[in-house]
Amino acid sequence: MTEILILRSGFDFNGIYGFFDEFMPDSLDWLVFLITSLILAIVIINAVVLSTALLTWFERRLLGRFQSRLGPNRWGPFGLLQPIADLVSLLTKEDTIPEGADKPIFTLAPIVFLAPALIVFSVIPLHGGSFLGNLNVGLIFVIAITSINTLAVFMAGWSSLNKYAMFGAMRAVAMLISYEIPMGITVVAVALVAQTLGLSDVVLAQDIPYILVMPLAFLVFITAASAEMSRTPFDLIESDSELGAGYHTEYSGAKFALLQLTEFMAPIIVAALVTTLFLSGWRGYGPIPGPVWFVIKTFIVLFGFVWIRASWPRLRVDQIMGLAWKGLLPLSIINLFVVAIEVFIFNPGENGLSTTDLWIMTGVNWGVTIIAIFAIFNLLGQSKSERPVPVISPLANMYANTNTVKKITDLAEAE
Amino acid sequence: MYGLGLVKGLMVTAKNLVLPSRMMTVQYPNRKVGLLGLSKATGVPLPKLLLKDPITSVKSLLGMAEVKESLPQHPRFRGEEFSWYEQRCTGCASCAKYCPLGIIEIVTSESGDQMQEGQKYHLDKFDIDIGRCMFCGLCVEACPYDALHMGSGFEEGTYRRQDLVIDKRKLVSAKKTPSTWFRPQLASKKYDPHKGKNVKWDGAGRHEKPSLEQQQEKWAKR
Amino acid sequence: METDTAFIIDVVFWIIAVCTIFSAIAVVFLRDVFRSALFLVVTFIGVAGMFLLLRAEFLAMVQILLYVGAIAVLILFAVVLTRDVEQGSPFNGYIAPALVISGLILAGVIFVIINTDWNMTSGEIGSEELTFAFSETNIVGNIAELLIKKYVLAFEAVSIVLLGAVIGALAIVRRR
Repeated sequence: MTEILILRSGFDFNGIYGFFDEFMPDSLDWLVFLITSLILAIVIINAVVLSTALLTWFERRLLGRFQSRLGPNRWGPFGLLQPIADLVSLLTKEDTIPEGADKPIFTLAPIVFLAPALIVFSVIPLHGGSFLGNLNVGLIFVIAITSINTLAVFMAGWSSLNKYAMFGAMRAVAMLISYEIPMGITVVAVALVAQTLGLSDVVLAQDIPYILVMPLAFLVFITAASAEMSRTPFDLIESDSELGAGYHTEYSGAKFALLQLTEFMAPIIVAALVTTLFLSGWRGYGPIPGPVWFVIKTFIVLFGFVWIRASWPRLRVDQIMGLAWKGLLPLSIINLFVVAIEVFIFNPGENGLSTTDLWIMTGVNWGVTIIAIFAIFNLLGQSKSERPVPVISPLANMYANTNTVKKITDLAEAE
Repeated sequence: MYGLGLVKGLMVTAKNLVLPSRMMTVQYPNRKVGLLGLSKATGVPLPKLLLKDPITSVKSLLGMAEVKESLPQHPRFRGEEFSWYEQRCTGCASCAKYCPLGIIEIVTSESGDQMQEGQKYHLDKFDIDIGRCMFCGLCVEACPYDALHMGSGFEEGTYRRQDLVIDKRKLVSAKKTPSTWFRPQLASKKYDPHKGKNVKWDGAGRHEKPSLEQQQEKWAKR
Repeated sequence: METDTAFIIDVVFWIIAVCTIFSAIAVVFLRDVFRSALFLVVTFIGVAGMFLLLRAEFLAMVQILLYVGAIAVLILFAVVLTRDVEQGSPFNGYIAPALVISGLILAGVIFVIINTDWNMTSGEIGSEELTFAFSETNIVGNIAELLIKKYVLAFEAVSIVLLGAVIGALAIVRRR
């Protein structure tokens, strides 16, 4: 992908700024800033959108193989031009707006949906620093920006003037805000162990990948992030047989193309986040450069997402809310407590936790994970309801043991 | 044990991904082949293929080479084009009478001045409208001379609805690969119409036209 | 880079300030309730931009996370569940008293702003805590220390308010 080649040259904000600053007069520094930002914006947007197109192809092929069929393989080598065919078909469709709907809000909703997804990618570290340098509140930035898409869902549902779209939007928003909380608490636990909030520093602090140190946090984060992306098994919003199509019922044409783009961009961003927070980002072995390791790990996480989508059934909305509030929230709080106690005991100084401390935490945390999952799901899971003993209905065989049978047989014998 | 069902579900789809026996797609009409598949399908060994046709080999490495593939059908499959043997047909129009949709149109005229028993009518018109046909095969069941058989193909699409009416000329000149439906004489010979061999008119029927001696004996005993 | 781009920081400040004030006015004067809620969101984002200009990135991010991510959603839910919300919020007859009272409040705020010493690190407002809190490194840790050590009463009072809200919500939806 394009970002690998670009990042080999140390292409980050300071690098480009320094390059341009050399031959521009000092008073035009704002122009240098502007040019740098424009170049970075073009690079980021191109990289992310191309990756999204590649992800649509990858997901459709892989989903097909998981379902004993081939994915699209007609257009271009191995079907690689299929995203372009999809794009052309979406863009040539008629762009309808419901009559009487709020036109500005209807048009703005896909844009408000897309913008946070593009912004988040700029702070993810691919090699050393990220595109925006080392933002020292990167973790909260990510959580804050991904919480804006609830607004977009609301806007889309409300401005459609369609009460089913409104229902779908409200259910979707309820789901999204319920799952932000375990996600945020898990991220706080990661920040505790890494002793920093910046994403590049989180990667640097992972001598052991945090998936081993905090497996409970990893599981909770993956589940919460799947729900944030409205991906199976939480995709009741776009399940085709329920509620029309949820909040994007009335969208078609280019606006729908934007919504689909964001929907496929979300797994890439969440996979990149998971790689950064839990799988030690761009750190790897040997001669393979850092960004390639990042891409490999993101690919593995995406494979996991597609595998889950192909295998597991969809949850009902009450099961989803129960899982968030009764399952994931206590688990994430337990994880935070245990990690906080451990960090307090080890009392790291300036250099953060040492590797031995991390190994001890690993051992303790795995035990805590298994105990916590068993405890929470036993205590707060859905209680098995008693199956009622079947009572034979008196109507089951109406004429058995009645006088009618006797009368019929008597009549037959008489004749 | 919590999570065991989830893992079992994942294993089911993993088996679908990995085992080649689970890939059930029939890529009709063109199957995309790789390099080995291309050499196996065309029967040309691999090095000669690379030398003789480098462009197709490169295309097959890119996954863009195609090989024709058809859906395998049962020999008794009631296909679209009908196999009609002119030599056996007498113009009795039983097929037209049995057809529940009435799409067979037969116009006959006398052949010769005084027709004898055992002589055939001259067929002016024999049209079957496969645009409306439901391929029930009742016409084939009705034919007493085994002249009409169901076909074995399904690729009869045309661009105009009028072209879907098969007339007598087309029936005569078509390839005769009759389906073995309601024709036990063909089934007992283990004939498979999809292997492509034609059946001649004298091998397609149960009854043969009696010879003159047999006919005279029948009239004599009447 | 800081001193060279002072001009551009001024331009950015004016842009953000004008947008924030304009959307705040739109919140009050728009007829359609949903749109005024959306302009409130723009106001929140403008305030977050102001925090960024004051070099308080953590507060800016927390502002977006809480206000835009949660409180704005709450306000939108309330707007959506209101009956007859398509009729909008018409003007009522209280314009004159509203102008008088808001004029008085505006005068009071301007008076306070002009007479305050805004020097952050020394002077009346600037005490050791603010110096301590706005140091470049470990902002989050210092804010947390302040919350737990000095302002712990306010912190706990807020959490009791939240607990009251949760209990109230449960009491409302409890099945009889």
